[in-house]
Amino acid sequence: MPIGTPLRSRIDTRSDDYLANLRAMEALWNEVAAELESVPTVGGQRYLDRHRKRGKMLVRERVEALVDPDTPFLELSPLAGWGTQDAVGVGIVTGIGVVDGVECAIWGTDMTYKGGSSNPTTWFKVDRLLDVARRCRLPLISLNESAGADLPRQADLFINAGGQFKLLTQLSKAGIPTITVAFGPNTAGGAYVPGMSDYTVFVKEQGTAYLGGPPLVKMAIDEIVDEETLGGAEMHSRTSGLSDHLAVDEMDAIRKVREIIAHLGWRKLGPGATEPADEPLYDPAELLGVAPADVRIPFDIREIHARLLDGSRFEEFKPLYGDKLVCGWGSIHGFPVGVLGNNGILFSEEASKGAQFVQLCNRTDTPLLFLHNITGFMVGTAAEQGGIIRNGAKLINAVSNSTVPHLNLMVGASYGAGNYGMAGRAYDPRLVFSWPNHRIAIMGPKQLAGVMDIVARNAAAGRGIEIDDEMEAKLQAQSQALEDQIEEESTALFSTGRVWDDGIIHPADSRTVLGMALSAIHSNTIEGATEYGVWRH
Amino acid sequence: MHRLLIANRGEIAVRIARTAHRMGISTVGIYSDADATAMHVDSVDIAVSLGGTTPATSYLRTDAVLQAALDTGCDAVHPGYGFLAENAEFAQQVIDAGLSWVGPTPEQIRLLGDKVAAKQAAIEAGVPTTSIIEVDGSNAPADVPMPALVKAAAGGGGRGMRIVRSADDLADAVAAASREAQSAFGDGTVFIEPYLERGRHVEVQILGDAHGDVVHLGERECSIQRRNQKVVEESPSAGITDEQRRALCDGALALARHVGYENAGTVEFLVGADGTVTFLEVNTRLQVEHPVTEAVTGLDLVELQLRIADGEPLPITQDDVRVDGHAIEVRVVAEDPAAGWLPSTGTLERFEIGEGVRVDTGARTGTEVTTDYDSLLAKVIVHAPTRGDAARRLARALRSAWIAGVATDVPALVAILTERDYLAAETPTSYLDEHPDVATSTGPVGDDRVALLLGAVFANEYRSRTTDRTTGFAPSGWRNLRTIGQRQTWTDGETAEHVEYAMHGRDAAEVRIGPWPAPTDDGSLSPEERRVVEVRLFERSGSTQIIEVDGVRHRIDVLSSGDTVHVRSAAGSATWTLEPRFVDHDLVDAGGGPTSPLPGTVLSVHVAAGDHVEDGGVLVIVEAMKMEHKICAVGDVTVAEVLFGEGDRVDAGDLLVRLETPDE
Repeated sequence: MPIGTPLRSRIDTRSDDYLANLRAMEALWNEVAAELESVPTVGGQRYLDRHRKRGKMLVRERVEALVDPDTPFLELSPLAGWGTQDAVGVGIVTGIGVVDGVECAIWGTDMTYKGGSSNPTTWFKVDRLLDVARRCRLPLISLNESAGADLPRQADLFINAGGQFKLLTQLSKAGIPTITVAFGPNTAGGAYVPGMSDYTVFVKEQGTAYLGGPPLVKMAIDEIVDEETLGGAEMHSRTSGLSDHLAVDEMDAIRKVREIIAHLGWRKLGPGATEPADEPLYDPAELLGVAPADVRIPFDIREIHARLLDGSRFEEFKPLYGDKLVCGWGSIHGFPVGVLGNNGILFSEEASKGAQFVQLCNRTDTPLLFLHNITGFMVGTAAEQGGIIRNGAKLINAVSNSTVPHLNLMVGASYGAGNYGMAGRAYDPRLVFSWPNHRIAIMGPKQLAGVMDIVARNAAAGRGIEIDDEMEAKLQAQSQALEDQIEEESTALFSTGRVWDDGIIHPADSRTVLGMALSAIHSNTIEGATEYGVWRH
Repeated sequence: MHRLLIANRGEIAVRIARTAHRMGISTVGIYSDADATAMHVDSVDIAVSLGGTTPATSYLRTDAVLQAALDTGCDAVHPGYGFLAENAEFAQQVIDAGLSWVGPTPEQIRLLGDKVAAKQAAIEAGVPTTSIIEVDGSNAPADVPMPALVKAAAGGGGRGMRIVRSADDLADAVAAASREAQSAFGDGTVFIEPYLERGRHVEVQILGDAHGDVVHLGERECSIQRRNQKVVEESPSAGITDEQRRALCDGALALARHVGYENAGTVEFLVGADGTVTFLEVNTRLQVEHPVTEAVTGLDLVELQLRIADGEPLPITQDDVRVDGHAIEVRVVAEDPAAGWLPSTGTLERFEIGEGVRVDTGARTGTEVTTDYDSLLAKVIVHAPTRGDAARRLARALRSAWIAGVATDVPALVAILTERDYLAAETPTSYLDEHPDVATSTGPVGDDRVALLLGAVFANEYRSRTTDRTTGFAPSGWRNLRTIGQRQTWTDGETAEHVEYAMHGRDAAEVRIGPWPAPTDDGSLSPEERRVVEVRLFERSGSTQIIEVDGVRHRIDVLSSGDTVHVRSAAGSATWTLEPRFVDHDLVDAGGGPTSPLPGTVLSVHVAAGDHVEDGGVLVIVEAMKMEHKICAVGDVTVAEVLFGEGDRVDAGDLLVRLETPDE
């Protein structure tokens, strides 16, 4: 028997309200789409041409050649670096793709952007992929060519970046194959990417690896040597043994990677899709207009369930208790999930209900999907006296110690401790995706500015300063400026630029993206927790 | 007559059995090891194994065939055509064993089978003919007027025949024809006669009984030939006058009466461009193309043959013979006209021929087509009130034919049947030489071809998605950051087509056809000049794709076999193969050289290791499908090693001779 019964949508997709919201969401998405479009050519035409003139493929062309025909490729954090000093995408591609039928974690450097060098965000983005590979148990494929670290940025990079080589060998230790192709230089620390990999492929007359390049060798020991002799593909394939396969050209290298994956005899450890995988009764394309573009407007989270879950089926848990946190079971592309979605702020009832639901899903090894549209926990005398901290602690205890995989889909706001209760980024969700209307901050910009305003006024009163017209105007301007700043720092683009999520997705793609995430998750075992922290009853 | 041994295989064995069964006669077939599961074996009541795979070790074994007839209690033997059909000794053995021979008497076979003697008889009967030059051994005579035709005295079917236009080539032609005749008929005797350029091949069907009665069943025109082998046959001839028709038919009857001809035979003539009618030869058997005569006369020639052999008098008189409408037959052969009509071998993965036509065939889905036997797959015959109607109906039936697994002449046949000169009955025997475009026709063109290509592309895409056990739930080729679509190269054996597509949802796609932009010398990409095609997909399955290409709907039948997709639409059929994404460098590095163009046997080796051969020099001759294929040097080369010897079997693509590389 399939899980749950079909939900009924109350949205009239021909209504003016729906269509107006759809247009507003389209406008938000178009901003994201424009940013995405710029990513593959951030290196600039001159460097793209130079790269191609050398007969080399662009990083995304390599990925396209690597993955199986017609299969999906989910690029992660494509807009990392947005709003920072680095170009969007930060010169690196990370993602999940299918190679010879095996879901793999794939990353590749974009040599056209600053010579494929690493900056702090690059490191963070790769670190995120290594984490996905480790926790989902995905073979890791590195399509590498890099000048090394972005040297002027070394202070923000050097100490942390070294941990990547540790992570590589730990993946290997965990039985997760690591495969590196050297398409170009792998210099200094970068040489440890092939060095720490299970399998290496070097492209003839292209791939190189050395701890110190010819200039450094000259400086250090006064030896004059050419690149090929020092660390060329032929040398590493015939002499040093760093290279396992000498590829005739780039396509040959990609063919060799596919051969390596083929011989792994890779088997996924999760139970896989076990539920009927029929389409929802309501078109997932309607998701674009379902969640309000303005996160201050409330909506019924079940409208998302109706367009996200197989057959729109949902078995709701405790529907009459703590109804601001909608909990229940369903499936996406046949993969069972426990879904927690916000229909308002969290009260004591919501928090304890959520904690119980998280425990139930751990008991049945069911992955959890958190649909964030949360402005926070309830405040005020009644809430405090009702034990909101004690009950909120239960929810945070539950999500912190839960061991089934968590997925976050940001469909609206995610403010304050609500983000924590909903197992936000700091609570190690396997993957986090955002819709373009998403807002994230410690609290809403207006509330934050208002709090600061009250604090300022109280401080003035404490010092006996009377607020005259001039002072009032100044305070109001200050408050407005702060609200504007926080507003800017709360957007989905700001969040994705800092890798707080794994990418902004088009709402209509949610089923596909979550399906891919769940499928990847099922590469590993799925085991629920039996132990938690002390419950504050 | 109660039980008939059919001493043949393929379509003619099937066709003879059909009539015999209708007449209540039981049938016995014979088969080689290669034909153990052939269609003709299933179409007879019982069949006897002869062993062997080649004709010489199976169907040509007179002792074994006769023994099969005796062992199974047959009282008659029908030889069909080819094999033992014109073997007078075998006919005599059959008669001596007390069985009926369905064919002319051994004496008639012997007399008329010797083309020199037949000419003599024709002259005696008053049939107009040209003089011939006999050839002593394999010495070419001098002072032969050009152009000339070298022919084998025995046999037929164009084997052992050479057209010679220059006296210098005569000696080679005589030697080759003699060798081919020796191989095919066991008799290397050849003769020379004047060659009439742009003549028409017109033949008259005759029937005679044992009681001295003879009729003719009108004429057939079989001018369209490749390598002197017929491709298109029709009745009546549209290219002769009534006066010529009378001369032909009267001549044929006179010759038949002169020799007291029994059973079915064909008197062949050449009608010159100047109107002269010239006797060629008599075929003392049922012809391949007899169905067109059956169509226009309403008679069953096999039935008449069997009745005559059983001693019955001819049931018809000349006055009863009426020719009604027009019939055309085409021979569907496993040959590639674009490659010089080279035989094509393989397994028939699909074998369907359109409706509303007569199909005489011994092939079916699953049949293995080898070089051991004739390349004929099927004869397709249509009968209509007029020649134009017949051509139109036949072309339509052929367009919807679906033969997958081997190359065939179907596209060329469609091209002929719709070609202006053909429709105007301008069909000399040089027709195919004069219309080279016909042979290179590869089937549907323009948007029909694009639709077939995209049918193959999306059949493959459909299969790829429905067999994806990992991410089959996801939309095809889904990307959250798209740079390029799915890029593929498909080839139909002639041309490679580059296709790039991006799916929009599950049932629409944007497709670009043509080479994708590639880096130029300065690294920038070449300009985008591809054709953009909007595609919508309906009713998708592994066997059918209904595909809308720029607003035009096509129904494409699909048969996938690995990376090869056979497709068929109302416009015709095609076979597209997806080029591998990756080059297997290990194999490519093995190097190239002179290879066998098709499976066959090495007939002769003309070089040894160390030989220097000039451009065009013969290295090896490979015989396949009874044709000799010269494998010649390209450029001046030095032979490093000869890899096969005379008599060795070779497969298509086998390297025959390893050549030294320039720096060796």
